[in-house]
Amino acid sequence: MRYQGIIAFALLIVLCTLRPCSAALTHAGIIKTVHGQAFVVRDGATLAAEPEMQIHPGDVVKTGDPGGIGMIFSDDTIVSMGPETEFAIDTYLFEPVEGKLSFIAKILYGTISFITGQITKLSPESVSLETPAATIGVRGTRVLIKVAD
Amino acid sequence: MNRKPLLLVLAIAVMLTAACGGKNIVVLVPDPDGTVGSVSVANEGGTVVMNTANQSTDIKDRNTAPRPPSEMKPDAIERYFGKALAVTPPPPAHFILYFKSNSTRLTAESASQLPTVVAAIRERSARNVSVVGHTDAMGDRAYNLNLSRRRAEAVKGLLVKQGIDAAHIVTTSHGEENPLIPTPDNVSQPKNRRVEVVVP
Repeated sequence: MRYQGIIAFALLIVLCTLRPCSAALTHAGIIKTVHGQAFVVRDGATLAAEPEMQIHPGDVVKTGDPGGIGMIFSDDTIVSMGPETEFAIDTYLFEPVEGKLSFIAKILYGTISFITGQITKLSPESVSLETPAATIGVRGTRVLIKVAD
Repeated sequence: MNRKPLLLVLAIAVMLTAACGGKNIVVLVPDPDGTVGSVSVANEGGTVVMNTANQSTDIKDRNTAPRPPSEMKPDAIERYFGKALAVTPPPPAHFILYFKSNSTRLTAESASQLPTVVAAIRERSARNVSVVGHTDAMGDRAYNLNLSRRRAEAVKGLLVKQGIDAAHIVTTSHGEENPLIPTPDNVSQPKNRRVEVVVP
């Protein structure tokens, strides 16, 4: 009987480290359109991108040629990528009730269309896109960015 | 020695480099509803701020200031960004459904809006529908958090009854913390008794 508590506790830890538990908390947006070669790199694994697939902070989204991908984030930010593009989501926080608002991403190469959402409306200084040559502060609403190889 | 062919080759090479790549570009364009915002481009060399439609800058490297903005013509925008623009999804559809006071029953007007919500979910093949419940500031916070959860669940139930897969709907409750119209505590405000449905 004395082990029951320990077993229950261990089970709880195992349950909470399983994907569905953490995925529900961390999902930042979804993939909506896919064209040609499009991938998500997550925890070292490369996954083929599909419509309705969830995007998490820390994901790196990549396209080949031909390739394209369109994403909608939970704050209504819309990001689309042309061919031969790499976009890394460093930080995504959209918790208006707690005042936690941030969208920081890197564009390593390629072409991107970025349409801002509610994070920019609530906190205009909180959306920042890093590129090798400059930092882009997007205060709204639609910005196109090309980063050379 | 005739130098003309060499010059021609050089000129073509310069044009090709300009057209296909080597360059970092930032362009501010109107969003789908016509609004133009503002963007800053900053590095070790300096900062450029743009706030009118189709203004663009290019950046040589991290230590060189971004070039002063100039207008980019639509055909150049299409040439550089046409493929990224072509895969841009439409904005998510937002619906607000209102409730009777201290109740999980929709107002008659909002109940009649349900078929539109169902149609949007089907049309977009949406499998990540968000349903967020809210209350006004009447009553205590814990009660309202629970009421907003029950409201979200009620809307989910109605959508499931219309044939939407329950696994495609995520409910959240915000209680009285996230009002559409801010009020002092214990004030009744019908516009805050709501569930917001987002269909991406």
